[in-house]
Amino acid sequence: MESGSKTSPGDPGSLRSRLARAFRGTMVWYSFLAIPLFLIMVFVAYPTALAFRDSFFTETPAGPEFAGLYHFRRLLTSGIFWGALGNTILLGVAFLGITIPLATILASMLNRLRRGSTPLKVIYFLPQLTSSVAVAIMFNYVFQPDWGLLNGTLHALGFQQLPLWLSDPRLTFGGSRAAVTLLAVWAGLGYFIIIVLAGLQSIPTDLYDAAAIDGASPVQAWRYVTLPSLRPTFIFLIITGSIDALSRFGDLWTLGGPGGSPARSLQSVVMFMFQQGFESNDYSLAAATAVVFFVIVLAITLFAFRGFLRNEFKAIR
Amino acid sequence: MSSVEQTVPAQTAKPVARLSLLPRDWRAQTAMGVVLFLGAVVMLAPFLWMVATSLSRKANSSMPRTPSLWPPDPSFFNYWVATANLPIVKLYINSLFIVGTTTVGYLLFSSIAGYAFAKGRFPGKTFLFIVFLATLFIPFETRMIPLYLFIRDFHLNNTYWALILPFLAGGFGTFLMRQTISTIPDDLIDAARIDGASEFRIFVSIVLPLCKPTLATLAIINVIWRWNDVLWPLLVTSSRDMYTVTQGLALAGKSSGVYTGVALATAVMAILPVIVAYLFLQRYVIRSVISSGIKG
Repeated sequence: MESGSKTSPGDPGSLRSRLARAFRGTMVWYSFLAIPLFLIMVFVAYPTALAFRDSFFTETPAGPEFAGLYHFRRLLTSGIFWGALGNTILLGVAFLGITIPLATILASMLNRLRRGSTPLKVIYFLPQLTSSVAVAIMFNYVFQPDWGLLNGTLHALGFQQLPLWLSDPRLTFGGSRAAVTLLAVWAGLGYFIIIVLAGLQSIPTDLYDAAAIDGASPVQAWRYVTLPSLRPTFIFLIITGSIDALSRFGDLWTLGGPGGSPARSLQSVVMFMFQQGFESNDYSLAAATAVVFFVIVLAITLFAFRGFLRNEFKAIR
Repeated sequence: MSSVEQTVPAQTAKPVARLSLLPRDWRAQTAMGVVLFLGAVVMLAPFLWMVATSLSRKANSSMPRTPSLWPPDPSFFNYWVATANLPIVKLYINSLFIVGTTTVGYLLFSSIAGYAFAKGRFPGKTFLFIVFLATLFIPFETRMIPLYLFIRDFHLNNTYWALILPFLAGGFGTFLMRQTISTIPDDLIDAARIDGASEFRIFVSIVLPLCKPTLATLAIINVIWRWNDVLWPLLVTSSRDMYTVTQGLALAGKSSGVYTGVALATAVMAILPVIVAYLFLQRYVIRSVISSGIKG
C-alpha cells in the first residue's frame, strides 16, 4: 500500500480506495463460496479421500497399519465379490437391452399419437416417482408364485407350468434375476420414454419431409431418419443407465437383504460393500470395494464421454 | 417456364399424398393407441392390485388364486394395523422436515455458488469450479462408509443433522445453476452495480427471480431424491422415531412380510403423497426431467 502510494503520487487516496474496493469485490465472491465449498470439502472430498486411504490400511487396536494392496488382493480373489459384480453387470445389461428398444418404440408411438399422449406419458412415468423400496415391496407380492398378480393372471389365462420368480435363484427366464429385471424395466421405462421423446422432438422436421419426398414409408423414415438421429440420446441413456445400474441397491436390498437371497443371486456390488462394511465390520475391504466401484464408474463416464464428444465434434465440423 | 411447371405438380402432389395416407394413418393411430393403452394397463395394474389387496383384511391369511382388482371384503383394517406398528405420522414429519431443509439448502447453496462461478471475478475461480465439478464423478456409494464413520465419531447418528448436512451442497446443482446464471446478460447486473446494489442484493433481487424455472427443476429433483433415498437413512438412523417414510417402509416391509395386506397398506401410505403431488405437478416434473436429464 505504502509503496503503491509512492509510485503514483498523483492520487494516492483514490488508488488505496480502489485497491480496497477491488479487495472487497474479490472477497464477496469467496464469501459466497465459503459455505458450499466447506460442505463439499467435509462431506464429499474428505470422505472420498478417506475411502482411498482406508483401502490401503488395516485397522488394528494400535492404529491403522499400512497394508499395501492386500485388501485389493483379498477383494479380487473373493468369489462373492465377483459374483456380486457379475450380477450387477448382468442385471444392468439385461435392463438396458430391454428398456432402450422398448422405450424407443413406445416413445415413437407416443410422439405420433394425436390424442391422449399426455395422460399416457403421466402413467408410464408414474413408477419412476415411486421409491425403489415401495416398488420392491409391491413386486415381492406381484411375483408370489401361487397367487401373485403375475402368476395369478397367467394361471387364469390357462398356463399351468408357472415360474417361481423370486424363489428360484437359477439363472433362467423365470428366476430371481429375471424377476428383478422385469421390476426394473417396469420402474424405469417411463424415464427412458420421456428422454427418448425429448430426443424425438429435437429432430428437425425437414429430415422427414426429405424422406417423404424420396418416397420413404413411415417405417423406413423411422429406421433411416429417427434411429440415427437419436444416437446422442441413446449414448446419454447408456451412460446414465450403466451408472445407475452399477449403483443398484434399494430394491434388491428390500427383496433379498444385504446377502441378496436367494443364494446371493440378487447381490449387487453396493450390497456387497454394505455387507462387508456394516455386517462384517470389515471397513478396509469395503473401502477397497468403494475404490474399485469408483474406478469402474469413472471409466464408464470418461470412455463414454470421450467417444461421445469426439463424434459429436466431428459431426459439427 | 420449365421451373414453374416443375414446382406446380410438386405443390399439388403433397396434399394428394396426405389424402391417400389418411385411411392408413387412421388405422395406424388405432393400432398405436391400443398398444400404448395395453402398456399403460401393465404399468397401472400393480398399483391398483396393491391398493385393492391393502383394503382386504382376508389378504393377510389367504389370497384368491385369481388376482382381483376389487377387495372382496373392503375395510381399512390393514391401515389401522400398519399405523399401530409404525409411528407413521412421525415418519411423515421426519421426511417432510428433511426433504424441506435439504431442498431449501441445496437451492440456496447451489445458486449462490453458481452465481459466483458464473459472474464473479476472483483468483482461483477455474480451479474451484473444477473442484465442484469433480464431485459429480464421485458416486455417493464410494464415500458412504467413511462418511458414516465420520458422522458416528461426531455423535450425529440418529439426529436430523446426519440426514441433512451431507446433502446441502453438491456439484450437480452448482453446475446447473452456473449454466442458467451465465445466460443472464452482464449489462443487467452491471446496471444494478452502478445503482449501488451489493452483490448479495443483486443475487436475491435480480438473479434468483430470473432462475425460477431452473430452481423449480432442481427442487423437484431434490425432493424425489431425498424422499426416496433409503441407503443413507438406513446407515445413520436406528431409532424408530428418526426413520424416514421410505426407510420405515423398507423395514416394515421386511418384518411384516407375511401379512400381505398390512405390508401393502404401509406401502400405499408411503407412496400416496408422492403420487398425489405428482398428479398435480406432472407437467413440471416431466419438464424438469427433460431439462436436466436427471431422474428421481
